[in-house]
Amino acid sequence: MAQFVNTLFNGLSLSSIILLTSLGLAITFGLMRVINMAHGEFVMIGAYTTYVVQEIFKSVFPESMRDIYYFAAIPAAFAVTFLLGSLLERFVIQRLYGREIDSLLATWGISLILQQAARSIFGTQGVNVTAPSFLNGGATVGGCTFSYNRLFIIFMVALCLLLVWFIMYKSNFGKQMRAVMQNRTMAQCMGINSRRVDNITFAIGSGLAGIAGCSVALLGSIDSTVGQSYIVNSFMAVVLGGVGKLSGTVIGSAIIGSASIFTENYTSSTIAKAIVLLIVIVFLQKRPQGLFVIKSRNLDE
Amino acid sequence: MSTEKRPDDYVLEINNISVSFDGFYALTDVRTKVRRNTVHFFIGPNGAGKTTLLDIICAKTKPTAGTVMFYPKDKEPVRLTGMKEYKIVQAGVGRKFQVPSVFVNLTVTENMILSLKGHKGILDSIFHTPTKEEMDSIHSTLKRVGLDDRADVRAGSLAHGQKQWLEIAMQLLQKPEIIMLDEPAAGMSKPETFKTGEILKEIKKECTVIVIEHDMDFVKQAADIVTVLHEGKMLMEGSISDVLADKTVQAVYLGRGGE
Amino acid sequence: MKLLKKQGDNICFAVIVIILALMPVFLKAGLLSGSSTVLFLGKCISFAIVAIGLDLIWGYTGILSLGHGLYFALGGYAMAMYLKLQETGGKITDFMHVGGLEELPLIWKPFNSFPLTLILIVLVPALAAYIIGYFIFKNRVKGVYFSIISQALTWAAYSIFIALSPYTNGNVGITEIKTIFGSIKGEAHQAEMFKLFYLALIILVLIYALAKFLVSRKFGKLLIAIRDGENRTYFSGYKVSAYKTFIYVLSAVIAGIAGAVFVNFNGSITPSQMTISYSITMVIWVAVGGRGTIIGAVIGAFLINLCEYNLSSGSMVEIWQYIIGAVFCVVIIFFKGGIVGIVKEQLPALIRKIKGKPAETAAKEVS
Repeated sequence: MAQFVNTLFNGLSLSSIILLTSLGLAITFGLMRVINMAHGEFVMIGAYTTYVVQEIFKSVFPESMRDIYYFAAIPAAFAVTFLLGSLLERFVIQRLYGREIDSLLATWGISLILQQAARSIFGTQGVNVTAPSFLNGGATVGGCTFSYNRLFIIFMVALCLLLVWFIMYKSNFGKQMRAVMQNRTMAQCMGINSRRVDNITFAIGSGLAGIAGCSVALLGSIDSTVGQSYIVNSFMAVVLGGVGKLSGTVIGSAIIGSASIFTENYTSSTIAKAIVLLIVIVFLQKRPQGLFVIKSRNLDE
Repeated sequence: MSTEKRPDDYVLEINNISVSFDGFYALTDVRTKVRRNTVHFFIGPNGAGKTTLLDIICAKTKPTAGTVMFYPKDKEPVRLTGMKEYKIVQAGVGRKFQVPSVFVNLTVTENMILSLKGHKGILDSIFHTPTKEEMDSIHSTLKRVGLDDRADVRAGSLAHGQKQWLEIAMQLLQKPEIIMLDEPAAGMSKPETFKTGEILKEIKKECTVIVIEHDMDFVKQAADIVTVLHEGKMLMEGSISDVLADKTVQAVYLGRGGE
Repeated sequence: MKLLKKQGDNICFAVIVIILALMPVFLKAGLLSGSSTVLFLGKCISFAIVAIGLDLIWGYTGILSLGHGLYFALGGYAMAMYLKLQETGGKITDFMHVGGLEELPLIWKPFNSFPLTLILIVLVPALAAYIIGYFIFKNRVKGVYFSIISQALTWAAYSIFIALSPYTNGNVGITEIKTIFGSIKGEAHQAEMFKLFYLALIILVLIYALAKFLVSRKFGKLLIAIRDGENRTYFSGYKVSAYKTFIYVLSAVIAGIAGAVFVNFNGSITPSQMTISYSITMVIWVAVGGRGTIIGAVIGAFLINLCEYNLSSGSMVEIWQYIIGAVFCVVIIFFKGGIVGIVKEQLPALIRKIKGKPAETAAKEVS
């Protein structure tokens, strides 16, 4: 029983990390139809930002203050990636709306540049972030250990999810955003500055990757390819969950996360990867229309 | 189905077709028959379900209930519902879509070659060269729609009306028994529309034509039978003069549309 | 001039082939510094081959595969396993001993035979691609969804190859192998190296001819039709999914052959050849050279790799990454036709503009 609960908790933990990285994708891919291959690099940038903030706190503040660095790191990571996302949208993505595959390739070029930049600045050796002391250890309930680290990440994901939900469905900006994504011309006619909406939407998506980077930093060493290891799962989660719906992304992440952990538990992590892929392909056999419904009178868009 | 008596002069039978999208019924219990070698029009206001009906016949959309039967000449009847679209085309039911969808990066002739009847397999497409007769029929079909002088032009650079004709020509080349046209005259000038009407009257000698159209002059010019759809239901069916004289039709459609 | 326009691709390809064919002569004449250039060009030939395959499915059919490294590596491993067994005389290898195996595993046994190896180089990628292609294309998974799946596939295969280290030697891959003509190292074996080089060149010419033949037929027009309007093609009576599966399998086979050629020149194969980034690098070659033209794929593969070869040594290594990223990005955004597109369309348009010809006729010709 304890074993099962532990596995469940690990699954939940992995799901939440996948969800955090795919939330941003759900916005850029799901709403804007832009495949941002540099999303993983934004995660990496978020992680490095956390590292930098930690180093600054180490040199500036006294020992006792160090733990709060993490709370400064989260907004900092968001701000940095938000800004970079905005710039990327302005100079690259903007020219690629309606060209999904080209957006995938162009952002791959960007991701090569960002990875090299990380290597140039921080070197090829991984760096480490020390988790704040209050995140060390864990709560033990009936033979099961829940590490604070992972609990905290789950909490953070829930917070982000709530935030995104609020922005998308409750705020005025969210209304504008959905209006632009559904019918650009009409939205422009209603006086919405669609350029600005595009830019901010993409920037928010990138900013979420930055926050994901913060939590990734807690889990292991950071190097220039740290984003790559999460991005494949995240893309799968978005595809699996269906595009354009927040709840789909949540379910997609949950399925991929828990499937990985459960199969890993009984087999090995490599077989888990293969099985998760199989699940997605089988799912696409059953419900390809869940992903791609042609509602337009135009035969091929 | 084979137990049923085969209606000799009908080519298509639409049996109690209903379709719902998320609970909204786009079509309710539509039934009609299409006579061989006629020009059969479906008219109705926007949202009446005309395009959906064509979608169902050619298997782009699955009906919630009902079947579509196709009675090819001198062959066994075919149940179109549940078939794959490319098989329906191969069986002899062709369709032109509302938005012109020719292959823009190929020349007019290449577009036509792709539409030739038969040779749809992979090996055929690699090793089969169009025969002289096939090339001749391409030229004569292009001539019919007045595109013979544009044969080597990239289809993407054709004018809108010319694309429509090219698509009609592509359908003709398939030698289908039924050819379905979704607003063939949309975006055409009056003389172009008239020319299209004349083309339809000519091609019905070889096949059956099903048309969706809004332009009443066009309907008057070419129609043999007209079916009026309204809010997914069949309102009436008859000759164009019957339809125009009908009070309900005038109320729901003609009075509102202004045409 | 007209001939140049019509046969430009083939003339260009002929020039490339002739230059390549002269390389061993140059080496003999002492014009090249060492045999490493020839070995490198041999690798480039294999890259050009895989680029042709990739161009067939991406440039012509519009299916972007981010997983062709997998097929490249499958062909490469098949060849490497044969060469390794030549080395050990059909006996169990060192890494198998380390992995705890007592005798040669069953999957290695067919690679004792050269004809069987050649068959498997074609068959293994073909079978893998067929299974994947069949299920994915049947249900009309397309566009970026396919790309994402293909990427995940490569990723899964990569980790499986690493995990099965007693059979594949994991991260290290299969190393210390010679070529199908035996050793090509040093002056004494120069004849063998030339033989290998010309064999690779012949394979490139054959693959180029095959691709050119296919795209000139109705089949090629259909690929373009599928790219531009998949549903329309279904409604023209074609079973598009079968065509897509066919071209996917064909390009996987071409990638497998390329991998087998590559191993001979490289002297080893590692799982890094089947990573996502390696696969996308292949896409970069095609994009920069010019998608949708077979010659573009060949030009791109040679050009990028030659640049990389000359730039990515020493301190330039960092700058090279920036350059390749930026070039790729710019090509995708501004020059969809790549180098071939620039030469065929943008340059003539520019010349006309400078000469002051009416822009209208120019635009018509271009489109």
